[in-house]
Amino acid sequence: MFKRKLTSEMKWGFGILGLYGLWAIAWFIYSYLIKGFIFKPYVPELNMKVELALPFTKGLVLGADLLGRSLLEVLSAGLTYSLTLSFIVTIVTASIGIFMGYMAVRAPSWFKMLFDLSINLVFIFPSILIAIMIMAVTGQSMKGLIFAMVITGWSGYAKIARGESKRVLALTYVEGARAIGIGEIRLFFTLIIPAILPVLIVNMVLGISGVIISEAALGFLGLGGSPYSWGTMLSAAKTVLLEAPHIAMILSLTMAGLIIGLNLLGDGLRDYLDPNKG
Amino acid sequence: MMLAVKVSRLLQKAIYAFVTIFVALTTIFFVIRLSPGDPVETVLGGKATQEEMTKLKAQLGLDLPMHSQYKNYLTGLVHGDLGKTIFGNKDVKDQMKQRMAPTVILAATSVSFAAVIGIFLGIMAGYKKNKNFDKFSRLISLFALSFPIFSLAPLMVLIFSVKLNWLPVSEWGTLKHMVLPIITLVIPLSAIVMRVTRNKYLEEAHSQWVMVTRSKGLSDVAILLRILKVCLPTILNVVSIQLSVVIAGTMITETIFDIPGMGSLLFDGIQNRDYPIVQGVIVYSTVTYMIIYFLVDFLNEKLDPRTQS
Repeated sequence: MFKRKLTSEMKWGFGILGLYGLWAIAWFIYSYLIKGFIFKPYVPELNMKVELALPFTKGLVLGADLLGRSLLEVLSAGLTYSLTLSFIVTIVTASIGIFMGYMAVRAPSWFKMLFDLSINLVFIFPSILIAIMIMAVTGQSMKGLIFAMVITGWSGYAKIARGESKRVLALTYVEGARAIGIGEIRLFFTLIIPAILPVLIVNMVLGISGVIISEAALGFLGLGGSPYSWGTMLSAAKTVLLEAPHIAMILSLTMAGLIIGLNLLGDGLRDYLDPNKG
Repeated sequence: MMLAVKVSRLLQKAIYAFVTIFVALTTIFFVIRLSPGDPVETVLGGKATQEEMTKLKAQLGLDLPMHSQYKNYLTGLVHGDLGKTIFGNKDVKDQMKQRMAPTVILAATSVSFAAVIGIFLGIMAGYKKNKNFDKFSRLISLFALSFPIFSLAPLMVLIFSVKLNWLPVSEWGTLKHMVLPIITLVIPLSAIVMRVTRNKYLEEAHSQWVMVTRSKGLSDVAILLRILKVCLPTILNVVSIQLSVVIAGTMITETIFDIPGMGSLLFDGIQNRDYPIVQGVIVYSTVTYMIIYFLVDFLNEKLDPRTQS
């Protein structure tokens, strides 16, 4: 399988994501080890003198934002925040989804229906609207944001996991393993998970970009989990669109670059794993 | 006999839809009370005294035991009563009625434009698979999907309103005001529709029944139309699932272009921490979205009898 050539989409995706990854790591080292210390990381400083400075002026590479913080530093803080949040949310939602989807196929008959029904119900829920509601009513924090996105987001993965486990459970080698008396837990971890993971990974890559967009949308509405959320910053940049258009432009392009990278990688992976489709 | 079967199926669907909406509303109720954070604290901000907090709790009915809160919530919804706003003590329902028109216009026009554009481009891209048109439109759709509405809209304003001075920056009223918001809403949605249509078209285009129609000597256009009919349920399904994103997107677009719709009502509600307004708008749009979802589901069965099982 690994002898197949990488598609050009995947190469581009890996390349773009690699750059963003390096950027995030560089910022992490800069803020936690060089400028600040582990328990007291460096945060972008306010400096009203350089408020709304243009790029390459006053010693700032990308200029400054509304509060006079260096735009490059604020962007980097937003990048690490966005990546951390989206990875946590995606991994938690995918794990819940795999568990629920597998249970909908494998659980005893009564529970099976219950799992099946709850997957179908939550799938129809308008997740972004419910997330807006949770964040608006219970106050803004990263904990609340993760809760809101996990509770509405797992059903997509569960649907895929359900279909895939149904397919895999019917395969001969799984049947053979069950015939020689393999335990339920071992069956799940050594046979089912490896078989359904490729399809899920494609969806997780695309899911990460979905989480980044939803998080920024919530931030734009004033419901972000951090002051460095790109959505929050865009909503501030919108108010000074005429005076300092570079802020909105740089923010949009940075965010779009990351999402393009993730989408390219996801699409490329899908074609790579299943070249007959698409 | 056929009629009886049809009626019972319809009834089944209706009951299922009703139960789903009920469960969704119940989930909204409980999720808010289970999630970390306290609504009253959010409304008043950290500095409120104990007295103010209990007063507001009583006003919102949050001091009652859980089951009677739930009962009040449901009876209110059935009667179309969404409570009073905290600031100004106005009826939430009336407030929403005043703000409804722009949102509905925006959402409906952009969905129809996006469907037409997306289906057309998707079929064209599938028809010319791996030709330049296909590659180009896939690239464009990738970019369109990567600029979320709130980052696309400021860029559009910069280009078309500030630099070129063709269209007004904000506000609402004439047709000219509608152009930019609708374009920002149409771009991402039509990209999604395009991708789905292309994939579904390619799936169908090599199936046996298409070969049969081709061997019978039908023209390319006639075959295209037949394939389109088969693709339609899938496309409709995707559009209906995307609808919640469209509703949220419309709300965000409204706040960017200063359009006096439901979205700006919601935004003001969030800014003022006016909990009943937020709840009213979200509950209302959730119910609307779900009703449309089930109508589309029903329509799909009519279009494609195979999905009936």
